[in-house]
Amino acid sequence: MKCLETERLMHYAYHLMDETAASQVRAHLGECVRCREIVKQHGRLDTLLDEWKVAEPSPWFDVRVRSAVEAQQANRQATGFWGLTWVRDLALASLAVLLVAGAFWFTRSHIPVPSRVAVRQPHPVMVPPAAPQTAQTRPPLAKPPAGVKPAPSAPVLKPTFNFSNEDKDTLALEDYDLAANFDLLSELPKGEPRVAN
Amino acid sequence: MAIESDLDLMLRVRDGDSASFEILLRRYRLPMVSYFRRMVRDQTMAEDLAQEVFLRVYRSRERYQPEARFTTWLYRIATNLALNAIRDRRDEVSDTAGDDSDGAPILERFVDPLPTVEQRLIQEDRERLIRQAVEALPENQRAAVILHKYQDVDYRQIAGILDVSEGAVKSLLFRAYGTLRVRLEPLLREGQI
Repeated sequence: MKCLETERLMHYAYHLMDETAASQVRAHLGECVRCREIVKQHGRLDTLLDEWKVAEPSPWFDVRVRSAVEAQQANRQATGFWGLTWVRDLALASLAVLLVAGAFWFTRSHIPVPSRVAVRQPHPVMVPPAAPQTAQTRPPLAKPPAGVKPAPSAPVLKPTFNFSNEDKDTLALEDYDLAANFDLLSELPKGEPRVAN
Repeated sequence: MAIESDLDLMLRVRDGDSASFEILLRRYRLPMVSYFRRMVRDQTMAEDLAQEVFLRVYRSRERYQPEARFTTWLYRIATNLALNAIRDRRDEVSDTAGDDSDGAPILERFVDPLPTVEQRLIQEDRERLIRQAVEALPENQRAAVILHKYQDVDYRQIAGILDVSEGAVKSLLFRAYGTLRVRLEPLLREGQI
């Protein structure tokens, strides 16, 4: 009698075959001592593995599972519609846009924005027109005595400053301030006693 | 009173019946904790992972489709969690050769007052050797052996749990039992005497 392959015997020993195949092996084992011994050895391993026992769950296990499930249930009920992520995100984004728009509106309507810095216009200085000095208005010069040669008239010195454009602007501003202050001073009532400090 | 099938219970859980969930919890609390206890060894972690399985079942109750057996679905969740936990702990777990407690609480070791201290120690030593032999198997073989030997799961169902063919499961188990037989040879010989 030909022995069965070890693999087939192991499949039988560990219940890894269907009932039809198992019945064929069973029939063979009834006649073959060697194959029966191999199956017996595998059976011993099966019995040995049974010795590995493990502890039962702790008595608090069920309570813990129930609490975890209830917590999850409560969490879901609490969040409800707002538990949906996209709804929550959309709501937050809308809120952010509203806040920004509100802040902008408040700033525009309640905080005065300084208008353009008023530039003081130069006070118009009333300068009387210079009377042309003609021969009629000019006082007559005293005639030099006879025999005296008149001194030559002194040459008129004209300032020869070379101002840059920037300097001219600065000077113009200083002139303006002087003129304005002068006007203010001239508007003060005259004759009032000075207050001693 | 007829025993309700897992499928009926799960369909009722899907409709919001918490009492049915309670029945499923009572029915599978021990298999789940035992499975994790053998897969990850640590009792606290085993209970945490078992709790996570029940939470995931509850969370996905509305999406439950009764296409596969409930236990296949349950063990599939459990196996994924266990294999992830093993991978996470791979560097942490060291083989505690002299650890006779097996990570169990102290009281657990003194539950049975009948065996003598010596018998108890011998038994614990044998259990430790078996545990180490199973733990030394590759992940898939280990899961297959524990499901097949300790959880009484049929090899066809194991194929669904591990998402492999039936032939692959037979091959996994064939190699795993062959390795265990070699590794546990001293204990097998002791038994013969």
